[in-house]
Amino acid sequence: MEKIKSLAVSIQNVRKEYAGISVLKGLSLEIRQGECFGLLGPNGAGKSTLMKMIHGHVIPTSGELYVMGLNTQFQISEIKKKMGVVPQEDGLDTDFSSLENLLLYSNYFRIPKDIALSRSEFLLSEMKLLEQKHQHVETLSGGMKRRLAIARALLNNPQLLILDEPTTGLDPQARLWIWNYFEKLKLQKTTILITTHYMEEAEKLCDRIAIVDHGQILDIGTSAELVQKHIGQEVVEITVGNEKNYWISQVQGKNLEFQDYENKLFIFFKTSDDRQSFIQNIQNTHYLVRSANLNDVFLKLAGYQIRGEG
Amino acid sequence: MIHVWFRNFLFFKKTFFVSIFWTVIEPLMYLGALGYGFGRYVPPIEGLSFLDFYFPGLLCSTAMMVSYFESTYPNYTKLTYQKTFSTIMLTPLTYKDILLGEILWGATKGIIGVFGVLLISSFFGLFSWSYLLILPILFLLCLVFSAFGMIMISLAKNYDTFIFSTSGLIIPLSLISGTYFSLKDIPEFFRWLAYLFPLSHATQTVRGILYRGFDGMYLVHILVLVIYLVVLTYLADKLFKKKLIS
Repeated sequence: MEKIKSLAVSIQNVRKEYAGISVLKGLSLEIRQGECFGLLGPNGAGKSTLMKMIHGHVIPTSGELYVMGLNTQFQISEIKKKMGVVPQEDGLDTDFSSLENLLLYSNYFRIPKDIALSRSEFLLSEMKLLEQKHQHVETLSGGMKRRLAIARALLNNPQLLILDEPTTGLDPQARLWIWNYFEKLKLQKTTILITTHYMEEAEKLCDRIAIVDHGQILDIGTSAELVQKHIGQEVVEITVGNEKNYWISQVQGKNLEFQDYENKLFIFFKTSDDRQSFIQNIQNTHYLVRSANLNDVFLKLAGYQIRGEG
Repeated sequence: MIHVWFRNFLFFKKTFFVSIFWTVIEPLMYLGALGYGFGRYVPPIEGLSFLDFYFPGLLCSTAMMVSYFESTYPNYTKLTYQKTFSTIMLTPLTYKDILLGEILWGATKGIIGVFGVLLISSFFGLFSWSYLLILPILFLLCLVFSAFGMIMISLAKNYDTFIFSTSGLIIPLSLISGTYFSLKDIPEFFRWLAYLFPLSHATQTVRGILYRGFDGMYLVHILVLVIYLVVLTYLADKLFKKKLIS
């Protein structure tokens, strides 16, 4: 129990079934206080279900979830007082202006009026939304709406901030600005739990990453650990065309790990020396050498096939 | 609960003029055209002029309609497209706070509609101090149909679902519950049917209090309304919870 209290989130063998279909299959996970934790997974992997369990919208079929030592099934209102959530769809109240949205939300948290007003004004200026203060939220751009949703999630000074695909659909400028802001929050020791499809986002922000698929965790670690463990240092992409079998036998002969993808082979090298000795033998074939990255890990673990929405 | 009510009150303040406009104009049209105009050609019902007879019926059907509509269409939008309820669920408030807050708000709008009718009625010389006694009964009726609305939004697949409850229940109830004719004068089957539903119990009680003084039967009518409120709120609780927590 002492350990659970010291963790930001403790997920213990959680299962979730909808009409007999397993969405989460006995998943366990620990998120430490003050860390930025990333959940990566293809569509339908169970990320959103897991996030919704943490904020109480989904009740586990079995298993236990603790947030800051409190059980999500029995103490969810207490938990929510200490938590901020930016949902995928923003969920702004379209009947009201930016400032009114923040004041209303503060009211749901029973934050006294004067404090709510000064905190809202502060967050609007933090989020560069002061000029849009009295603007109806319907008229805000996608980036502004997302920033307002982030401001809203920070109203109660949360110890844990949950971000469900926070930069999906935003332009690169807006994304950069938001990443920068999250880095500031990390310095203030706010625990951040983030889901994303952008490997760059996870690599940049997250201290640790879990790759989730089919309702299970495939691996957990820092970005560098995962890349080193599953891929190595460098990747050579060879466009093999109709000589695929020849190349596969070459690669297998050298005992190298590779991935066969349509007309290409991705070959993984633990060191650049290994890579150097391999490419010396390549003639008249197009190839590309690059550093191994989290994207390679993700595709290797979760597979290369296209998934449905969900 | 009160926080959810307050959100709607703030929105109401923004659209105050439109709301008040129809709250006053509608009863003016009904009381004027039906009660005063058409009513002059109608012989007395239960010893009352048609205008006098119709007035309590209009009060009750207004209470029912306004609460029902306020609790269905806007709340279905908040549940689905606007995601307002999902967002509130991210705060320490619970689904029960939302449910009860919305039932209370729907009933508040119903009572505002009732005030519109009362205001207009005083122009037709219908003002009475017994208004103070009928208001709690009308409010109870508003709560009943507001709770019913919350059941409907929890069952609805899309906006068209409400056509079933509106055309299949609300409109027929406004016609058979003693609004336009005496329940004593209709076939027994329809009388029983009318008493099976809450509206006629409210209409009988409100009409009685306005014109006839106290009767022990009122307590039975009120009890029926209370039972309806408890049962519908219980069902709404079960169904609405499933919409927000899975």
